[in-house]
Amino acid sequence: MKKYQLGEFEEIVMLTIAILYKEAYGVAIKNEIESRLKRNVSMGAMHTALVRLEDKGYIRSHDGEPTEERMGRPKKYFQVTALGKRAMEYSRETRNALWGAIPDVSPNVKFS
Amino acid sequence: MKKIVAPPKLFHRFFRWYCHPKMLGHIEGDLLEDYRDRVHKKGKWRADARFVLDVLLLLRPEIIRPMEGYKNLNTYGMYKNYFKISFRQLAKNKTFAAINISVLTLGFSCFILLALYLHDELSFDRFHSDAEKIYRIVQHEQQENGTIRSVSSVAPALGKEAREQFQEIEDMCRLSAFGRVTLGNDPLTRTHERALSADPNFFTFFNFPLIEGDPKSVLQNSDAIVISESIKEKYFGEGPALGKQIWSGYMRQGKPVYLTVGGVMKDFPKNSHLQISLLFSDATWNVQYRDYAQYVNTDWVDTEYTTYLKLKPQSDVALLTAKIKNLVKSNYPTDREFKSNFELQPLQEIHTETEQFQSAADEFNANNIKPFYLYTFAALGIILLLTACLNYMNLATAVAIKRTREIGTRKTLGAPKFQMVTQFITDSVVLSLLSFIIAIAIVYAVLPFVNVFASKALSITTLPVEWMIGILFIIFIVGILSAQYPAFIATRVSIVDALKREVKLGGSSLSVRKALLIAQFAISIMMVASTLVIYQQLNYLREKDLGFNHENMVVIDVNSRNLRRNFETVKTEFSKPAEVLGITASTRVPGEWKSFPIATTKSSENINGSEMIFVGIDNDFLDTYQIKLLAGRTINDPVADSLKIVLTQLAVEQLGLTDPIGQTIEIPKVRYGERMEELEQPFRVEVIGVVEDFHFESLRANMMPVIFGALNTSIQVIDYYTLKIKTNDWAQTIETLKTINNKIDPNTPLEYTFLDSRFEELYVTDARRGQIFLTLSIIVVVIACLGLFALVSYSVESRMKEIGVRKVMGASVNSIVRLISKEFLILVVIAGIVGLPIAWFFMRSWLQEFAYRVPFGVSVFALAILLTLIIAFVTIGLRAARAARMNPVNSLRSE
Repeated sequence: MKKYQLGEFEEIVMLTIAILYKEAYGVAIKNEIESRLKRNVSMGAMHTALVRLEDKGYIRSHDGEPTEERMGRPKKYFQVTALGKRAMEYSRETRNALWGAIPDVSPNVKFS
Repeated sequence: MKKIVAPPKLFHRFFRWYCHPKMLGHIEGDLLEDYRDRVHKKGKWRADARFVLDVLLLLRPEIIRPMEGYKNLNTYGMYKNYFKISFRQLAKNKTFAAINISVLTLGFSCFILLALYLHDELSFDRFHSDAEKIYRIVQHEQQENGTIRSVSSVAPALGKEAREQFQEIEDMCRLSAFGRVTLGNDPLTRTHERALSADPNFFTFFNFPLIEGDPKSVLQNSDAIVISESIKEKYFGEGPALGKQIWSGYMRQGKPVYLTVGGVMKDFPKNSHLQISLLFSDATWNVQYRDYAQYVNTDWVDTEYTTYLKLKPQSDVALLTAKIKNLVKSNYPTDREFKSNFELQPLQEIHTETEQFQSAADEFNANNIKPFYLYTFAALGIILLLTACLNYMNLATAVAIKRTREIGTRKTLGAPKFQMVTQFITDSVVLSLLSFIIAIAIVYAVLPFVNVFASKALSITTLPVEWMIGILFIIFIVGILSAQYPAFIATRVSIVDALKREVKLGGSSLSVRKALLIAQFAISIMMVASTLVIYQQLNYLREKDLGFNHENMVVIDVNSRNLRRNFETVKTEFSKPAEVLGITASTRVPGEWKSFPIATTKSSENINGSEMIFVGIDNDFLDTYQIKLLAGRTINDPVADSLKIVLTQLAVEQLGLTDPIGQTIEIPKVRYGERMEELEQPFRVEVIGVVEDFHFESLRANMMPVIFGALNTSIQVIDYYTLKIKTNDWAQTIETLKTINNKIDPNTPLEYTFLDSRFEELYVTDARRGQIFLTLSIIVVVIACLGLFALVSYSVESRMKEIGVRKVMGASVNSIVRLISKEFLILVVIAGIVGLPIAWFFMRSWLQEFAYRVPFGVSVFALAILLTLIIAFVTIGLRAARAARMNPVNSLRSE
């Protein structure tokens, strides 16, 4: 059984939310991922991930103020919840554990 | 001034249309912000392209607005909730759900099965494309003694002549039966097959499908036969048989006739009143018998031809009937009195014809069923459904009272009454549908067994869509109706009472539920009593002293001249084995094999004459059959005693003879099946003995008087040998008999039957109906008991504290069980009082079919009540004892 379900892209989105802290809203998250990871993020993929994460209870949201550059549409800010934090930690630990379990010789042999 | 940069309008609107309203604001904001950035950085064109792509990529299930809308503009959500609550209720009251589902499933499966059965019975003869245009001519002939004889066949000349004269008739087809034919190319495996002959247009007139051969011409040629698939496999194995030749028992100029297979037909569908496996072309008889053509075209007296007419649309049936009568009348021989009435019987009504028609052969009225049974089965289906519903209502009401808090809450929140009623209806419809689905599965599973048992070919898939919709509709109605009462009870309580949970079992609701239980048990007792009567009657038939010995008797059917000639030698040959205790030759044997010759017999006291069965016997007949001789002697010698007869007591009585021995009686005419024959000169015979009465036919009919004459009379020839056997190894004995038969006549196989199994066969349909009744009454009783069990459980649960207090005060387990059982057992007794008169009435009308019926009275009904009481008591006792044995602490400490 999986304890915490977290997809790869979802994890990236969460990490980005954590990085942006108070400023994590749609376009900001997207730009952050694009600039840091040098990859294109579609609006669809990101919003789907956000909806799913919110459904899982890993992030929560609150409405922000409408701004002029958004033609009066409100921003929605996201924040990582405690559960979300645990999910992120869990995912990191499992990775680390797996990395730690690799015998010393193998990376040299396999990756060279 | 700022130039307004706007994204592509179409896609913007598209996005606004599909996006979930809750997300619309901020996602749209993101899109627009992003778009603006891009316009600045990369120019409008690329920003537009990116916008379109983003809009399309956002089209995902998570983001699209839900179908039903998110604002509750309608009450879909409420309906969703009804179902949710229904399933929760089922999960919460598991016993209740299990009992209800099993009861409804039982009820529905039986209902569906009975519907299938009824549909099959009503589908008889409907597969012909012109079914509603086809009629059969039947004839009601007034007998000399005033009774009316109904025959399903008419004179041979009638059909052809009517077709030529009357314009209403589009087509005509005649069938005639001539008994059996011996077939087989290999002398060792030859067997007898029943055969009919038909006019050449048979296969175009009716729609019986042919596998081989052309429907228009299969019956054209003489010596052509059309055989059913199973007969084909029997004689020709796999592969086509068209044009093959087969040896037959017919002789022409001293040589056996070889028949040619002109066609192979599919085995007749089971829902046809005609069941034919072998058809001869009528042309064959033109070759076989010299005067046949003349007979067929000019005979207006005989009643051997079953004649079907196909009428043109909108023909006046009554007028045609009158015309047919006149036609026969004008052609009737002048020296005979014409006393017949005709009727055109629609093809589709033949199967359910109430009248008992005499027909030339069994093939003509196969599997007829009286509408009485159809109504009975329909009633049973409805009764079963009804008990299942009553049961549901009863249980649902009991549970509904427990749900008062839910009702109270709903009411407080402002639920209108119809919403609560809808909740109850949803509950019961959900339950009915679940049960219906399980029932369909069960029907699928048991159908093969039912088919074997009822010798039918029922299948769910043959049920037309209308029937299926009808069944579903009925089940829906059942669900909705049975929800009414619990809903009514539950919604009646006031909010305060409901929330305080101080609702007592309402007085009226309890009495209604008792009434429902009484109805259920009344039905159960009715069924149990009926089943008991049916079984008693069957037993009575089986065990009634028929007046002769029918055990360990083997009857050999005489099919060849070799076996008929020199019967004395045949008798000595067959009596050689030690197992054979006795042997006798006779023209007829008891048990409705072939029609008996009926002799009109007159005496000095009875000038008008009475109809009596005439049987020719040899000197061993009375001994072999153990028929008691009361006075005088039996026939000793076929020649010397050829003008002597022996009468049964009944015959003596009907002839009005006081001192029968030595009296002379007169037989002026004899009726053979359908044919009345005036003897050339009246047969004057002397009575030499009187025997005790016995039953020559099934006990459905009244006992007929019998005359025994010698074998060598002009009336009839030897047709049977009866062997009385005592053996431990029947197979071996039969082998011995076969060897002897082959010695006497190598060409004809031995045909034998056990007399007692023949008598069993006469009641086989009754036995089957008895079994159906038994099964159904078990189901009804089970349903009633499950209902009772649930009700007792409910009553016990609501009286838990009372029981606890009683126990603390020192009440014994027995007294508590008695306390609980008493009120329910009284209901069962009341149910008996209601149900038994109905059962009595019903059974009396069923027994009318039998001339000899078991006397039934109070004892059967007492037994039925007692049985039901015991079953009910066990049901109650099980639950009550559990409650009574419980530790009172458990029920009392919760206070």
